[in-house]
Amino acid sequence: MNILVFVKEVPDMEKVKFDRERGVIDRGSAEAQINPFDLNALQAAVDIKNEVGGEITAMCMGPSGAEDSLKEAIARGADEGILLTDRAFAGADTWATSFILARAARKLANFDLILCGEMSVDGDTAQVGPQTAEFLGIPHVAFVWEIDICDKNSLEVRTDLWNSTYVKEMELPGLLSVTKDINNPQLPSLQDKMSARKAEIEKWGLEDFADQGIDEDDVGLSGSLTRVKNIEVPPKTGRDSQIWEDEVEIGLAKITDLMREKRRI
Amino acid sequence: MKAEHIDSLENIVGEKWVDADPERVMSYAREYTNDSYRLIAPEPAEDCVVVKPESALEISEIMEFANENSVSVIPKGGNTALAANAIPDESVVILVMERMNDSIEIDDINLTVTCEAGVTLEDLIDKLEEHNSLYFPLHPGDEGAQIGGMATMNAGGVRAVRDGIMRDQIRGVKAVLPTGEIVNFGNRDGKLIKNNAGYDLMQLMIGSEGTLGIITEVTLDLKPEPPQSATLVIPFESRSEAFSAVPKILQEGIIPLAIEFVEREQILHTAEDLGKEWPAREGEGDLMIMLAEDSEEDIFKAAAGIEKICQDFGSMDTLMADTTREERELLEIRSHFLPAIEDRILDCPDITVPRSELDELMTEIEALSDKYEVEIPLLAHAADGNLHAFIMLKDEEVEEIPDYYQDLKREMYEATVELGGTITGEHGVGALRKQEMSIQYTGRELEIMGQIKKVFDPNNILNPGKIVDLK
Repeated sequence: MNILVFVKEVPDMEKVKFDRERGVIDRGSAEAQINPFDLNALQAAVDIKNEVGGEITAMCMGPSGAEDSLKEAIARGADEGILLTDRAFAGADTWATSFILARAARKLANFDLILCGEMSVDGDTAQVGPQTAEFLGIPHVAFVWEIDICDKNSLEVRTDLWNSTYVKEMELPGLLSVTKDINNPQLPSLQDKMSARKAEIEKWGLEDFADQGIDEDDVGLSGSLTRVKNIEVPPKTGRDSQIWEDEVEIGLAKITDLMREKRRI
Repeated sequence: MKAEHIDSLENIVGEKWVDADPERVMSYAREYTNDSYRLIAPEPAEDCVVVKPESALEISEIMEFANENSVSVIPKGGNTALAANAIPDESVVILVMERMNDSIEIDDINLTVTCEAGVTLEDLIDKLEEHNSLYFPLHPGDEGAQIGGMATMNAGGVRAVRDGIMRDQIRGVKAVLPTGEIVNFGNRDGKLIKNNAGYDLMQLMIGSEGTLGIITEVTLDLKPEPPQSATLVIPFESRSEAFSAVPKILQEGIIPLAIEFVEREQILHTAEDLGKEWPAREGEGDLMIMLAEDSEEDIFKAAAGIEKICQDFGSMDTLMADTTREERELLEIRSHFLPAIEDRILDCPDITVPRSELDELMTEIEALSDKYEVEIPLLAHAADGNLHAFIMLKDEEVEEIPDYYQDLKREMYEATVELGGTITGEHGVGALRKQEMSIQYTGRELEIMGQIKKVFDPNNILNPGKIVDLK
């Protein structure tokens, strides 16, 4: 089974700092890495490949430096990596991102299954996977936590439905977005990491899509339907306390009011 | 505690900061020893009182009062001690340092940070994160530990290979002596690199477990934080091969932050207890090596050098984690070792030998495990020669100390000292290891320690009965 895995390069969210005044992420403050949910997608692809064979292609849209993330994907089991990189792709929202990913998948043509993480940790929209499938006109299931291979044309997958499990069958080719519960991404070996550092990453720019009739207005900021105006980082909140020593009644009244206000009583 | 004593203490720190409520006092009187080694940890004495001073001056007044009235005092940090180091065995004043937690001053020029004693490790890490490049390299474990407590306990931890232990990080301490005087040990501001004037009383204070003085302020070294890090997990067919690789790594000039050895069965169990997966499954165990370097190139160079050496000793595929999340997860599993088996632990001596003798010590402990038919899982700081040997209960429901304990423990300590080791590399002596001091030290050596205690604390009122008994 040939599997295409979408990986997004995101800043290390545990280290990244926000520029509160400008309302943007300070990307220089943290290393870039593969979106953690996409590591689950990649591991799911490796598990399927181990079971039934096939090839895994990792695909990423991002700046030229994002080829490091594709090399990391190769260290973790992908056979090759394709980077969609062009100044014209910059500033894409989920619509424009899904559009170009779908066109790239179509250009690649040879895939049975597309896997991606349920969302990116720096965007949290969970839209890119399903939107890409819609652009491609293929079936899709989101938030999958288990995949069973039925035969070469279909899969049975499980998602949550409130407190129960939703079992769905999907025809191939199709797209799945997976949750972190689907597996534990395995650590790569040092040897695989060192070999992957030398891997050649194929790069596709806008001109590689000329035969599909795409121009600058379809991609990046120009092709986007939404704009991020500002990012607001909630201020850190600490515990607040107040002590009533001689005015216990006043304190009790205040606590009661507060609990009412917070709808706790 | 006499009512008049409580009144006197209230006069010093204010009524609000003296607490005799038995339940609250008990929560301060206990420490991790009680949770981790419930059968052998002494239960705290009743009738203690908690006092929360806000300054060295108040502590000084408390000590003067305590001396005049022969009231014992135990200073308390984050309650993270593991050898009954600060559990009261009589009615005492528990001196809680948590109010002295405001001041953390970073000095960019001298590369130091000066903390009040009650500042927690977590507070310090948070403060340093605001600073882009400097960091405090040690991480002894629980971030609720207080800097004053870490100094007086001479805390260690996994990251000792490159940066040493607390003793190596401290430039100066301010302390209140048991007799009430306020002193600067080290130097006035704690910022000198060279100070060769007289006896080094600062080093005496470090590791004194709150028996020689109450540390109120500590000045620590800071270092530029290496921007790149990675953690290697290297499985070995046999433990002795893993240990043989360690000195070779250091000889090559590759100095990691930490080199740990984890046994296969234990680490898989620990990961499972956390609902996580340990990445290696083959062989007797793994070296877990934490690297911190200036560039990605340097990380790969060090990792490749380590792998080459380990392969000469029969290691299998080296696994590498280099994202914050994956590295933290490995450390989290490794740190969960004790909680995963806590219900069944009787004791855990943190015996330490020269690193060349560590494999031999582990072999001797395995022999003891067979002899006494007791499970003894081991966790090793492989480059430090420091071993945590968990003496397990045969029956976890048991409510009394089992018969085998005293003999087994004594044989374990004797084997350690025979190999040139110490009865404790990290957790200190406290009340738990006091009897075993005579295995490691001669009568004269112990007598000198007792005399030092008397010089500092003539009335034996500060954390009495710990480390050495006074004749």
